[in-house]
Amino acid sequence: MSLIRVEKLKKSYNEASGKLEVLRGVDLEIQQGEMIAITGESGSGKSTLLHMMGMLDSYDSGNIYYSGKQINPKDKDLNEFRNKRIGFVFQSHYLLEDFTAEENVAMPKFLATKDFKKSVLDSRKLLKALDLDDRRSHYPNQLSGGEQQRVAVARSLINSPEIIFADEPTGNLDSKHSDELINMLMDLNKKYGQTLVIATHNKEIAGRMDRCFILENGILKEIPK
Amino acid sequence: MNKIVLFFLKKYILSPKREWLRFDSVFMVTGIIISVATLTVALSIFEGYETVLKKTILGVNSHIYVFNAGEGNLSSQNVKQIENELQKHDGVENTSALIITQVMAVNGNRIKGSIVRGIDWEQQELPSKYKKYVLEGTWKLDAENSAVLGYKLANELNLKLGDTFKLISSLNSKVTPMGLKPKEETFTLVGLYRSGMYEYDSKFIFIDRNVMAEFNSMENEFTMVEVKMKPDWIERADYIAYVWEHEFDYQYQISSWVDFNSNLFALLKMEKWVIFIILSFLILIASFNVVSSVSTSIIEKRTELGILKAFGASDKILRQVFIGKTLILAVLSVSFGQILGVLLAKFLSWQKFFVLKGDVYFLEEINVQFGYISWIIILGVSMLIVFAASLIPLKNISKLNITNIIRKA
Repeated sequence: MSLIRVEKLKKSYNEASGKLEVLRGVDLEIQQGEMIAITGESGSGKSTLLHMMGMLDSYDSGNIYYSGKQINPKDKDLNEFRNKRIGFVFQSHYLLEDFTAEENVAMPKFLATKDFKKSVLDSRKLLKALDLDDRRSHYPNQLSGGEQQRVAVARSLINSPEIIFADEPTGNLDSKHSDELINMLMDLNKKYGQTLVIATHNKEIAGRMDRCFILENGILKEIPK
Repeated sequence: MNKIVLFFLKKYILSPKREWLRFDSVFMVTGIIISVATLTVALSIFEGYETVLKKTILGVNSHIYVFNAGEGNLSSQNVKQIENELQKHDGVENTSALIITQVMAVNGNRIKGSIVRGIDWEQQELPSKYKKYVLEGTWKLDAENSAVLGYKLANELNLKLGDTFKLISSLNSKVTPMGLKPKEETFTLVGLYRSGMYEYDSKFIFIDRNVMAEFNSMENEFTMVEVKMKPDWIERADYIAYVWEHEFDYQYQISSWVDFNSNLFALLKMEKWVIFIILSFLILIASFNVVSSVSTSIIEKRTELGILKAFGASDKILRQVFIGKTLILAVLSVSFGQILGVLLAKFLSWQKFFVLKGDVYFLEEINVQFGYISWIIILGVSMLIVFAASLIPLKNISKLNITNIIRKA
């Protein structure tokens, strides 16, 4: 059974110039432990698709199934579901400014368990694993761009999610830090078997994934390797 | 409270950015402090006025008055009967018969209408606090034709201790070939009486009861019997007067301090609450700043809120965090406003630049009192208004769309 199955997903936005159809019936099936890249030009709808698969946004029509179970976007328990099973890495790190690196990493677990001590302990372990142990008490503005993004990755991993959605995670990084980050995500995939879905327009990164898709005119097509 | 909310509130207070020192927060807090302080000053003055007025009225007067029901005054036998019967009652502390009449007090060309109270000053415990209120000279009326005057009356008649003045009474006037000649007699001022109540201090003259009886030709006659009740019975004086009237078979007309002053105290109470309601509108106006401050905070923090929502924070928790932040500021500012209000009220009672008009307000000094019930009511009402105001912008939290926030950020 696939981890995620997307069926005929459609999404449009009402804009001043008229209705903008971003997704025109996307179908996608992702297996547990797979690494997927979704490529496409800017504005092609990569982020929109990721957000919808990650339950951050609603869709006009279509269905999304997690482990065979259909997801209702209006479900009240969606927050809890997202918190426990899905991890996000965004183009910008979006770390909370008033919280230290370890508190930022601990936050999703703390929100899920209400156990701050345990969440911080787990956060420290993760930061150590990502070579950020000495930066755990620093605030985001005291970290470099690469460190900030690594902290954001640690935050997405704290609840040991089944799947990580990374939306242009290297968009704000130089090539050296980009490589480090992608290597880290791939290592985590190998180590913990976490499914990885990356939206990127970087062909090199896309080429390193198990499967690669392109989103054009609202339709998702697989690019044969 | 939820652990997550507490954690966020702790961060809010201890954050190095000192979010609560932002301009809009300071503006909100200042508004609440000023409005609560104003309300506190007004209530403190009203409460102080009410308490002191009551204390003064009950200090100068006794609590129950027994008059003859028909024409004429009480006889010695009546007084004896009344006192014997009343002494048996648990609530009675002491009683005293006295003579009261209206006279003209004259010193040279100064004339003032006054009320003379002929009292048994030798009685150890009088129903009224006569002895306590004689602050200058002596309360003893043992010298021949000695009198104690209200200090205002003495001022108006230009009298000092030891001076003499005349009392003229139309009662007991003599018929002469020139017409009616009112009775007049010379008295010496031996003490000044100061109750703090304008009406009493500007009108009352106290002389010995026997001298008064002789002056008015009222041998063995008394105007009334004053009764002082024990503290627990004072508030029920009107009911007791009613019961006694029945017990004495309506032979006497019995009134209480409540009958004479109930309208005044009812009016004061009503005015106090009207002022409270009107000044509560100040807090309502101050709460507009709460709406604006919380709205600004939500707009400024929308990215953080979006991220927290993306990582599983529910709208409920986020709303509780904002309510908590607002209530922390509100509790501090309301408490500070109350303290500031009490201090301002104390200053008003202490200063001498502005005094009340005694002939209008009975008392000349501004008195201040702030009870714990008022404290709780102001705190409760203010918190309720601020809480309600903070709820208005919180609706926006559930409207925050995570994707829009992330995309725009």
